[in-house]
Amino acid sequence: MDNEDYYENEQYDDEPELEVQANEDPTEIFLPEDNVQITPSSERVTTPYMTKYERARILGARALQISMNAPVMVELEGESDPYEIALKELRAKKIPFVIRRYLPDQSYEDWRVTELIAD
Amino acid sequence: MFFHKKLSHTITLHPSFLGPRMREFVTKRLYQDVEGTCTGRYGYIVAVIAILEIQMGKIIPGHGSAEFEVQYSAILFKPFKNEVMDAVVHTVTKMGFFASAGPLEIFVSQNLIPADMEFDPNVNPPSYHNEEVKIENGTLVRVKIAGTRIDATKIYAIGTIKEDYLGVIE
Repeated sequence: MDNEDYYENEQYDDEPELEVQANEDPTEIFLPEDNVQITPSSERVTTPYMTKYERARILGARALQISMNAPVMVELEGESDPYEIALKELRAKKIPFVIRRYLPDQSYEDWRVTELIAD
Repeated sequence: MFFHKKLSHTITLHPSFLGPRMREFVTKRLYQDVEGTCTGRYGYIVAVIAILEIQMGKIIPGHGSAEFEVQYSAILFKPFKNEVMDAVVHTVTKMGFFASAGPLEIFVSQNLIPADMEFDPNVNPPSYHNEEVKIENGTLVRVKIAGTRIDATKIYAIGTIKEDYLGVIE
């Protein structure tokens, strides 16, 4: 797919953290099925509600993926607009993302999108 | 020399692969991307032995693709100066001959071939020979690496057979 991108990354092999720190947004992260360590709920301090910024970011990223032929996680009833499908997935709590919420001290909490309250 | 080492590699996966068989795609891409490549630092990556960890994929903002950082262990092949290795001759010219040891190409210059071996361009295939042995296409030789030049993506080696116990082997 994007070979150029990946070669660029190769050069910065020694300092992968820089990239993360420069990114101040909460970052969505995809789940590789099992080996995910989510922040345990006892250690969490941030709100269980999905913020409107997270919502916008998630829907945007998911709609983009769906528009690029990503497998859809819900049954479709004739919808064809990627954004509509993303909304439907969010309502059905089927979006397979994890949100990484960075705190001001650069530590972070991971939340599954399915755990967040998004009404 | 061969090494067994833990390495990591980042794989970018297009959204259309982000389904239930994601792991499989990541693994496949790793083998495709990494096996057979050459880096100046580690030499040739001969084979991936095991995939140790696939971290959570990170979605690239505005792009939709996901990046996976994969830790794996691999067999590496890196030639060093003064290392002795066996190689197969594949080209013979009047300047010297080229031999390959796996992915590595070794050039043995004419002045690093014993003086009693002469180049004979008239026979087919062309060869270097003295009374006892003959170096031609396909001959097995034992060479000592006289020097390497390591670029970012390729390794060039110069070899010698002008020492005891080097040269044609049976």
